[in-house]
Amino acid sequence: MTTTTPRPALHRPATDRPGPVPGSDPGSDPALTSADAYLRLVQAGPAAAVARRLGLPRPPVLRRHVPGAPLVEGPVLVLGRGAEADALAGLLAAAPAAGGRADGWDLDVHRHPTEGLRYGAVVLALTGLEHPGDLADPVLALAGVLRRLAPAGRVVTVSRPARAGDPPARAAARQAVDGFLRSLAKELRGGATGNGVVVADGVDVLAPAVLGTLRFLLSARSAFVDGQLLPVDSGAGTLPADPERPLEGRVAVVTGAARGIGAAIASVLARDGARVVAVDVPAAGEALAGVANGVRGTALALDVTSRDAGRRILEHALARHGHLDVVVHNAGITRDKLLANTTPDRWASVLAVNVEAPLRITEHLLAAGALTDAPRVVALASTSGIAGNRGQTGYAASKAAVMGMVAATAPLLAAVGGTANAVAPGFVETEMTARIPALTRQVARRLNTLQQGGLPVDVAEAVAFLASPAAGGILGQTLRVCGQSMVGR
Amino acid sequence: MTDGPGRPRRETVLPAVPALGGLYAAGARASLRARLSPAGRAAAGRPAPALPDVAHVVRGVTADADHLTAYQHLLGESATDTLPPGFVHVLAFPVAMSVMTAPGFPLPLLGMVHLANRVEQRRPVRLGDRLDVRAWAQDLHPHPRGTSVRLVAEVEVDGETVWTGVSTYLAKGVAAGVGAEGTGMGGTGTDGTGTDGTGTDGTGTDGTDPRPLPTARWRLPADTGRRYAAVSGDRNPLHLSVATARALGQPRPLAHGMHTAARALAQVGPARGDALVWTATFGSPVRLPATVDVAVARAGDGWTVTGTGRGGRHHLTVGVAPLVGT
Amino acid sequence: MTPSSTLGDPGTRVGDHSGAVPGGTRPAYVLGGNRTPFARAGGRYAHASNLDLLTAALDGLVARHGLQGERVGEVAAGAVLKHSRDFNLTREAVLGSALSATTPAYDVQQACATGLEAVVGLANKIRLGQLESAVAGGVDSASDAPVALNDRLRRALLDLRRARTPQARLAVLARLRPGDLAPEAPTAGEPRTGLSMGEHQAITTAQWGITRAAQDELALRSHQRLGAAWDAGVFDDLVTPYRGLVRDANLRADTSLEKLAALKPVFGRGLDAPATMTAGNSTPLTDGASTVLLGSREWAAEHGLTPWAAVVDAEVAAVDFVHGEDGLLLAPAFAVPRLLARHGLALEDLDLVEIHEAFAATVLCTLAAWESETFGRERLGLDGAFGTVKEDRLNVHGSSLAAGHPFAATGGRVVATVAQELHRRRAELRAAGEDRPVRALVSVCAAGGLGVAALLEAA
Repeated sequence: MTTTTPRPALHRPATDRPGPVPGSDPGSDPALTSADAYLRLVQAGPAAAVARRLGLPRPPVLRRHVPGAPLVEGPVLVLGRGAEADALAGLLAAAPAAGGRADGWDLDVHRHPTEGLRYGAVVLALTGLEHPGDLADPVLALAGVLRRLAPAGRVVTVSRPARAGDPPARAAARQAVDGFLRSLAKELRGGATGNGVVVADGVDVLAPAVLGTLRFLLSARSAFVDGQLLPVDSGAGTLPADPERPLEGRVAVVTGAARGIGAAIASVLARDGARVVAVDVPAAGEALAGVANGVRGTALALDVTSRDAGRRILEHALARHGHLDVVVHNAGITRDKLLANTTPDRWASVLAVNVEAPLRITEHLLAAGALTDAPRVVALASTSGIAGNRGQTGYAASKAAVMGMVAATAPLLAAVGGTANAVAPGFVETEMTARIPALTRQVARRLNTLQQGGLPVDVAEAVAFLASPAAGGILGQTLRVCGQSMVGR
Repeated sequence: MTDGPGRPRRETVLPAVPALGGLYAAGARASLRARLSPAGRAAAGRPAPALPDVAHVVRGVTADADHLTAYQHLLGESATDTLPPGFVHVLAFPVAMSVMTAPGFPLPLLGMVHLANRVEQRRPVRLGDRLDVRAWAQDLHPHPRGTSVRLVAEVEVDGETVWTGVSTYLAKGVAAGVGAEGTGMGGTGTDGTGTDGTGTDGTGTDGTDPRPLPTARWRLPADTGRRYAAVSGDRNPLHLSVATARALGQPRPLAHGMHTAARALAQVGPARGDALVWTATFGSPVRLPATVDVAVARAGDGWTVTGTGRGGRHHLTVGVAPLVGT
Repeated sequence: MTPSSTLGDPGTRVGDHSGAVPGGTRPAYVLGGNRTPFARAGGRYAHASNLDLLTAALDGLVARHGLQGERVGEVAAGAVLKHSRDFNLTREAVLGSALSATTPAYDVQQACATGLEAVVGLANKIRLGQLESAVAGGVDSASDAPVALNDRLRRALLDLRRARTPQARLAVLARLRPGDLAPEAPTAGEPRTGLSMGEHQAITTAQWGITRAAQDELALRSHQRLGAAWDAGVFDDLVTPYRGLVRDANLRADTSLEKLAALKPVFGRGLDAPATMTAGNSTPLTDGASTVLLGSREWAAEHGLTPWAAVVDAEVAAVDFVHGEDGLLLAPAFAVPRLLARHGLALEDLDLVEIHEAFAATVLCTLAAWESETFGRERLGLDGAFGTVKEDRLNVHGSSLAAGHPFAATGGRVVATVAQELHRRRAELRAAGEDRPVRALVSVCAAGGLGVAALLEAA
């Protein structure tokens, strides 16, 4: 490409460019920032004081990812005993090119609380729990530093799953982590979140997917992920050479990329190094072109429900970019009606776009043998598909179906180091949710621990994480991005 | 057609090109006197006396570049340094007017109708050429509607006749003082350019040929006559405004004569060549504002341009042919 | 016909992979295209300028082909109705697009043939090795057309600027009359004849005796075929919506012969022959922009792009309509025979024939001329009639009657659409085990008696 001019950003005056053009900093894009006026009002200034006195919700300012910013702001306290806890702490503290199985993270790691110190994050290494009593030490140590957790701080548990064959005491201890973490997350304030990695027995705590998940949960990328425990079920996956560019050299297709969450996904994948094929219906072509140009990708006008969608996506990706590694099934529609009022075409169209199209496209890609190099399929589910939502029988069915789809697809990809997972957004500020009546919308926003709606970029960060090479050990899971919504798990 | 008495023996050399405004005023006064005086009224309908045997001459006439440009732009010519044949007419016309308004000219100027015109141009006249203009009247003939007369203008450059124009006018209601020769006012029938015989009485086509399909259309707004007057200096009141036209018995101002003939010539464009015979036969005048369908067609080595009104009224036929053998 | 390629230049075949040969040529390919949907004048793009529309079409092309930040060899485009401020329209559009700011550009104008001429000129540069890639385009906005000052007002304003003293300025202003303040409306009239294009075509229509029924049938077919093409997704890879318009606004796929027959004639009413041309069988004033991506095979390969069709050759003709020799829009009737003769081809050797539908009658007059023994002998110098175009090869996805005709944008619309279709047909033939050249002819008539014809061959 001798004629390509290396240029970091597109040369375009902002004033005469209609439509959103996600750039390298999605947070600065007006389409991706919060439409939540209440949130902006009470986060600072006199209104904040009034809200505090009246006991009104005061949603915290979430820290979001900025390339180049430190992984964690402040020292990291690693609690827990045993070789695995030590290995984790060692890795987090080690210098970047320390050798061994993984580069060190070069964090300021403490193994015991230091009086007066403000911690950026606390990692609870709980893989060695054998008895519920084992939980007391690390948990109480955490209790001592909780008030000194930095704003938007992180608590991450690393534990093992309770299994039927385990000794009851061990299973009890392991299961206890679940309830503890979910409750702790609800207690945290100031944008701090609590999440966990659940490492299957037999999988090393330093396995790529464990480290990848831990890094994601510690980072600002997981700003709106709260109260979640993400299982890592295999040692598959690879750690990226550059954690800032985990998708370098990867080719990703994003459906429904013209606006909202899809546009944010395209933007974040491109930021993380991927070459993006932005797909949307022909009618959305203008916005799609803006997204494609913003991420220096290619636009493909296509109805995902068309019979040849998979073939056309594959042809385009292979012709233009040489391979296809990541497929993000983001395109989705709602046709909300009570079931009693649902017409056959409404039901059919929701299912067709939300789940039948992803099924058919993935099926085609698998049959074509196109996905060969640690492929990642990420589909968009919804908390509605988990908890249900009145008036969304079709939508919830389709989104629950997506969860079933990824769970069954992941094993099909395992042979080539691939996996399939889903992201289930809660309330996210999009054009779609902007159409919800104002009062309902305000209530919906507050019904989670973080007391605010998420942003499209929050969903996109989760998608990008599941699309990354490190996530190879996460098999068929659904990661919620909901600020720990009160509904569902 | 200039085979009448030919050049007069006497010459009146004018010091400069006379101003047309003054000539029209003088001509109008003379016409009115003729109509109002008992002698004048008696003269109407009586044979007019013979033409004075005198030519008016102006030497060293030059074209002004801005004037030329304005003329060329108005008529649709390119603004080249070559004077369109119609522009040479514009330069020579005041001298012919001088002939028609001189004492002793037997016909009243006002209300005279331009019936036909013929121009021979032997070589192009260029900006900067010094023109010697000689004009006289000849061929006073009876016409079914009055008396026709030919005004001849000759233009010499460096002693060579480069341009000759013959304009045939009709003085309505004035009987000719010479023996009727029955030549009518068409006057162009013998020049072999193929423009003869097309409806000169203003009532439309002869009804045998289907009307030719137009190749162009003129949209002439109401101020067309004034605009042509501004570049030609020919402030014929018939062309200027509703008021002045009404004073002369026309409901609306007219576009007629050298104006439409020159437009038709411009329609042919550079294909007409440098040495040419340009003839025009005028039918019914164009009443402004007007739309005129124009048909350019091959005719032998040259072209004919026919102008027809929307209702099928024939306005003019112009012939353009290369001039050979001079 | 021999099943050989017809690239025209000895030793150069569509399939050649060789790069530029000094002193020789190599194929230039259509690699893709993008246009806005075409809007009716005063419609969705009423307030969009030529620059806006062309930039939008360019950005869509960049997005579709991943050319962000790319230095394309050259961009050439133009507009017929052009503001004086747009003296560097194409370069300004490049600067406002996602292309690299180091992409050179120039403006082209050849009336309605602007877009096709831009394709031909750039393809030739690629063939000569001067360029590896290029974008040809065209745009027109009948809505945002320039309105000129009355000549007298304009001259007075210019003189006013030159006047040095207050007295001189007053003298200039005193020249003005109220009527001078009226702007000059833009006209589609031919400067030399004062006849609008429609009036000219009406005369040609009468000369060739084209019936109203034949014109309405052609118009109906254009709408039906364009509608079917939209439904089939033909334009998914050719059009990017703009300003909320997702399809050509002029398209009336559900029109009928009855509806078309009910329309009153608008052109040719002053002629002796019956007036046959209506708003239904004439193109409306339209706003829109189109672009075509061109490149060498090497450049295409580097960018993961599949050549659709080679731009093989082109021929331009002009007719003398001023002296009534031929109809204003009949120049393609001369250009096409000359072009095909150069390649030893006849009309029946073409798989696709695109004749721009300035008016239904324009297409029908062109076909009638080609089918006329007299025209063939006397005007084309052939032994007889030039030939016939089978209806199922003519404007297969509809044309300007249905899509509309933003003058300079039409060439790009046609070239991109037909190149994609060539590519599709060649692939189909190959899949069926048949390998032969698949060719298309593109012909566009233009004001001034101009006509451009181009020969394309599936890559």
